[in-house]
Amino acid sequence: MEGKETRDVGFFKFLSEEERAEFARVVEHTIFEPGEILIEEGGEPAGLLVLMSGQVEVNKRVPGRSDRLLAVLEPANGRAIVGERGLLSDSEASATVRAKGTVEAVKVPRERFRAMIRGGHPVAYKLAYHIARILAERVARLDEEVVEIAREIERRGETDLDAFRDKLLTEWTI
Amino acid sequence: MQETYLEGLPLFKDLTSEERAELEALFEPVSFETGEAIFEEGGPEEHLYVLTSGTVEVYKEVFPDRWYRLAIVEAPAVVGEIGLVSEPPAVATVTAKEPVEARCLPDKIFLEKLDAGSEAAYKVAYEIGRTLAERMAHTNECIAKVVAQFEESEPKRDFDVFRDKLMQEWSF
Repeated sequence: MEGKETRDVGFFKFLSEEERAEFARVVEHTIFEPGEILIEEGGEPAGLLVLMSGQVEVNKRVPGRSDRLLAVLEPANGRAIVGERGLLSDSEASATVRAKGTVEAVKVPRERFRAMIRGGHPVAYKLAYHIARILAERVARLDEEVVEIAREIERRGETDLDAFRDKLLTEWTI
Repeated sequence: MQETYLEGLPLFKDLTSEERAELEALFEPVSFETGEAIFEEGGPEEHLYVLTSGTVEVYKEVFPDRWYRLAIVEAPAVVGEIGLVSEPPAVATVTAKEPVEARCLPDKIFLEKLDAGSEAAYKVAYEIGRTLAERMAHTNECIAKVVAQFEESEPKRDFDVFRDKLMQEWSF
């Protein structure tokens, strides 16, 4: 991928022009055909994908049922990245991301990113810090949602839901 | 005498001894009495603390005037590391369960090191990112289990909206 194109990717705005040019050497410009899988649940994390155009569907397997659609994402609605957790984490992907139509994306492959980290490249650390900030914000929101559910259950006073509430609070990690 | 209190802590595991020494020089000693708050939920979270002795408790006010104890953290350990990568106020209260000795690093100084391109600061930020990513993976799995159980129980319809919000916050 040419450096000029990387400079045009809004997600990389936090990097300087020189740093974006450095990243241009490791990112891959990828086209996914309709139905093609970008990230597969249970699979190895592939890396960070910055969506440039098109829509993706996010599905989660539910045992004994059909897959649950979690979200439809597209750059226009503000959610332009997928796989950001998998860039830093060793845990398997927790949902499947599939192209709804033709999808254009810029990929930061996990292994190349890890090699940059091992090599002490500041630009890779800057990306990691940026993703850490995104994850911190999301974890905080998720925690608040969990608390809100617990409060809602409390307001209803459903005794049969007490176990559910307690489980939520027990399983919740800080 | 050279201090080595960062050695052995997972957050600083990838630092060379020189990098650890570079960061250790920035910390100040601090102590807390039993019951004293290190962070208060909703208040500022502007320091990273390395606990060198003692134990702290982590509480969250889930219902008005009702606090749930989420964790007990025993030295050696780190608290407040998420504050280094986030703006929001502290999401929980951390209090000393017994007298606590700690070293304290203001977030501001850490961020200055990061801006200056300190490799030690970069490595710590990377490790925080990895911690958050693993925590998100764990939370995702916990929520998936809970939602699966929830869907098998009745009544459930009123909670669909909350369940959907939870799902949307997932990070994959």
